[in-house]
Amino acid sequence: MEKPSNSNLDRDLAAALSRGVDRPLPGFSRRVVEAVRVDRFRRRVIRWSSVASTLAACFIAAFVLNRPSTEEALIQQTRALLASDESAQVNAILGVAVDLNLLTPVIDKQSVVVDALTPSGF
Amino acid sequence: MSLEEPPTLPDDEEDKRLMALVALGDDDALRILVDRHHPRLVGYLRSEVGSQTTAEELAMEVFVRLHRAASRWRPEAKLSTYLIHIAHNLVLNEWRRKSRKPTTTLDAAPEPGDASHESARKVGELEESFAKAVAQLAPEQRTAILLLVQQDMPYEEIALAMNAPISSVKTWIHRARTRLRELLKDYYEKA
Repeated sequence: MEKPSNSNLDRDLAAALSRGVDRPLPGFSRRVVEAVRVDRFRRRVIRWSSVASTLAACFIAAFVLNRPSTEEALIQQTRALLASDESAQVNAILGVAVDLNLLTPVIDKQSVVVDALTPSGF
Repeated sequence: MSLEEPPTLPDDEEDKRLMALVALGDDDALRILVDRHHPRLVGYLRSEVGSQTTAEELAMEVFVRLHRAASRWRPEAKLSTYLIHIAHNLVLNEWRRKSRKPTTTLDAAPEPGDASHESARKVGELEESFAKAVAQLAPEQRTAILLLVQQDMPYEEIALAMNAPISSVKTWIHRARTRLRELLKDYYEKA
């Protein structure tokens, strides 16, 4: 490796700037190890928080994807509404809806009794 | 591997061995690494930022980052160069955070008793003059000259630490020397 040449300036600078440079700081390594432990714990918390967030996101996604679409929901609601319609239920059970339609012209005709009792001259 | 082995390995090899242990979560190995490297690192940072307290905080951050990167670290350069590289990036961040270049002088107080001696006082004044002159340099020039004269690093390692071409490092150092000669002209004339 290329070594720089030393000049007086460099030597004086080195002497001036190196004062105390090699002096170890008491307890510094202990402080560093404590800081590293705190950092390690913090990163572990962040990692687990990230995992928990991902799981929560997956759960929500699964829940949303399993819900019926808007159209399907509308169909289901209509069916429920129809199911709760009592008159429609009774009609369906008695099967009278169609019969009533068939009978309507007969009922509207004049009664035979009424015809007999009514003088034809009238 | 055991920490009780006698330290017969060269410094670089010992650093590699300790880093491998740090990567496995060995706090004792980290403590030894910190003890080996922190004095020079703190000294460099103090010269850069001009404050002992900030220098110690930044040095702690350097070692925390070293610990985080321990498992990914590849011994392509000396560990001391890697530490200076991290420290240099932190110094750049510190300057950006403060949005100004550091202009303060070193805050290291003279040793007790030194003031009673005239020679010690002169040495203190001289050191202060040099520190002030270095603080007036452009950031790249200051870093390059500090790594050269204080950390005794060759150009190749300075380039690695500063993530710059060697030609740029040489230019910065040349300009730093020229500027320092201008700033310290009075002192050299008196001498």
